[in-house]
Amino acid sequence: MNLHANESSPTGTYAEGMPWNPVERVILERRSIRSFRPEPLPDGMIRRILEAGRFAPSAGNMQPWRFVVIKSPEIIAAMERDAVRIARLFMFFLDYARGGRVRRAITMPLAKLFIRLLPNELHAPPFMLLSQIAQGRAPVFHNAPVIVLILEDRRGVSCPAVDIGVCGQNMVLAAHSMGAGSCWIGLIKLLRYYPKWRRRLGARYPYHMNESIAFGWPRPTADGLVPREVQIVEWREGGPDDPPRYERQGG
Amino acid sequence: MIAQLTLLDRLRVPTYDDGSQMRYGALVIDRSRCRECGICVRICPGACLVTDTATKMSLLNGTTHKGKSGVPRLDLMKSGEAGCIACFDCGTACPHGAISLAGHFNPGYRFKRIAQEDVLAYPQRY
Ligand SMILES: Cc1cc2nc3c(=O)[nH]c(=O)nc-3n(C[C@H](O)[C@H](O)[C@H](O)COP(=O)(O)O)c2cc1C
Ligand code: SF4
Ligand code: SF4
Repeated sequence: MNLHANESSPTGTYAEGMPWNPVERVILERRSIRSFRPEPLPDGMIRRILEAGRFAPSAGNMQPWRFVVIKSPEIIAAMERDAVRIARLFMFFLDYARGGRVRRAITMPLAKLFIRLLPNELHAPPFMLLSQIAQGRAPVFHNAPVIVLILEDRRGVSCPAVDIGVCGQNMVLAAHSMGAGSCWIGLIKLLRYYPKWRRRLGARYPYHMNESIAFGWPRPTADGLVPREVQIVEWREGGPDDPPRYERQGG
Repeated sequence: MIAQLTLLDRLRVPTYDDGSQMRYGALVIDRSRCRECGICVRICPGACLVTDTATKMSLLNGTTHKGKSGVPRLDLMKSGEAGCIACFDCGTACPHGAISLAGHFNPGYRFKRIAQEDVLAYPQRY
């Protein structure tokens, strides 16, 4: 059920227990949208979303990003095909949940070794989405009409990947505030294995292709509130040697 | 309380289709409320939901026959486990409030949740 906050507080104020303000509502009700109407967002709206990215904070004001707007259905279809192809290759060697015992005996140690060596390349349950993609049961780019690639300039000070995240989330929130839908597509990384895509998309030094975001009109609208794990937060209020106080955030 | 990541945890990579080593989202579908519209099946990130007649791809490609698409269920692997990451995107999208989440997703061992409790809660107005 599209559970929405129905009242709204004005921005720029705080009173205990007050209803969410419109900014908080966009933050809390944003959901990753993975089903879009085929027509793209108007160019003006895409530019407006990019503005939210252009004005994101970044370490040392380095702005270590470069945007590529991909609207061509032909290019997106080609990206999809090639991403699926590489997912299949990976899963051929690593997906131990499919096939018989012999296959499992070979692929499981391989998958676990891979996870140890490259701990961030596969999701913890490594093959949920990737395996489904390799089996042709889920798409990579969700048939989105617009993909915005945020290339990371590796010369950024401190940790430019964080700047990319901040910048992208600014765009995501701007998009949802205007009624568009979005989904981060980290799986664009699959295209890094193709020199031709690195060339075509400008992912060469100093740029790194880590993240992209799919945008479009949601079909159906699926923003709304969800439950999440209660988080244990450590509060430190006393002296440096006093024990912390633990609080259950959200519960 | 904050869980500890033991040395054994750090060394062990969980087997994701073994329910004793990691936990997937406990999704519950209320059959009496479901009107078989297929929305949840279409939008689940990992195609974890299926019906007797429809899958995510069949709905996205329009190859399923029009009309009711059947009551969805978690698609189980051979091991009996599912791939639900408890994002609850299906739950917000369901027009009839037929979906609820009874338990969270916790990848085990080296990926186990540390500062999160098993309890799921909606945003709280402080
Ligand atoms: C950096 C990043 C990369 C992501 N990559 C993907 C992706 O490749 N495909 C996808 O379907 N979702 C992707 N997601 C979306 C997450 O799955 C989603 O945010 C998470 O399940 C929580 O759901 P919510 O966004 O609806 O709250 C990504 C999210 C982030 C922040
Ligand atoms: S909670 Fe998320 S992963 Fe689980 S079935 Fe629903 S949409 Fe799919
Ligand atoms: S979205 Fe809700 S009503 Fe539609 S098929 Fe899924 S559970 Fe049933």
